[in-house]
Amino acid sequence: MMDKMLKALKLTCKDVYPLISENRDHPLSFFSRVRLKIHLGMCELCKIYQKQLDFLCKIARVLGKEESKVLEETHLKPEVKEKIQKWIEEKS
Amino acid sequence: MNKETLEPEKWVEHYADMLYRYTLVRVKDPDVAEELVQSTFFAALKSQSSFAGKSTEKTWLFGILKHKTMDYFRSFKKNISIDMSSEEETNQIHFDSSGHMVPKPGNWNLDPEKATENKELAQVLAKCLSGLPDKFHSIFVLKEIDGMGSEEICNEFNIKPTNLWVILHRARNQLKLCLESNWLNTK
Repeated sequence: MMDKMLKALKLTCKDVYPLISENRDHPLSFFSRVRLKIHLGMCELCKIYQKQLDFLCKIARVLGKEESKVLEETHLKPEVKEKIQKWIEEKS
Repeated sequence: MNKETLEPEKWVEHYADMLYRYTLVRVKDPDVAEELVQSTFFAALKSQSSFAGKSTEKTWLFGILKHKTMDYFRSFKKNISIDMSSEEETNQIHFDSSGHMVPKPGNWNLDPEKATENKELAQVLAKCLSGLPDKFHSIFVLKEIDGMGSEEICNEFNIKPTNLWVILHRARNQLKLCLESNWLNTK
């Protein structure tokens, strides 16, 4: 019985890694949560993977802010700006 | 309190680049981004009378742009499930016979406090984002960049939650691998 339980709790990285991502999207079942926690407690690689996803999503959030400075050197084409400006001046 | 007013003649000068960059992060195609910004200004000009002066001019313009971007995302919703089955799991992580990740996750050596201030890394991420398939891209953007809830995304795209989780999992993985090969290896 104990053996069976331990086996069920033990997950390989392959089983765990989709859970690391899914954990961000919905509450995992109690069983999955326990298995994930146990695995992360002893697996450095999966812990690194979890951290990486964390970074990735945080950086994405910063990138997408309204006044993000990340793409500062990117500009709307001057000819497009001119076209819009002209249009606005005509219509207003 | 002074009521906000609109100054259409100054919109391009003040907001064109800002709106364009914002759109460029959310749609992959620069031409589409350009078009969305244009149509935002046009729509704004036509509906000036609806501006109540309660928000700033900038917030109001961004609001119009966000609507337009969402409409664009919705255009992908039709064939989302078809793509799911045919989507090759290319460039994904593999596992050896004992179930360990291959390749091993690289050590990013990032200071958690400063990671989000790393402009260079964010620029690489912007490039990597545009490498995602259209629907993966828009779903990742809505979830991670705009913070939309899972349920709302499922409703918008008419997909099951399990599909959403798989899409997000694959998108994050592809981005992670792309970052590793384009940023970390060139440092």
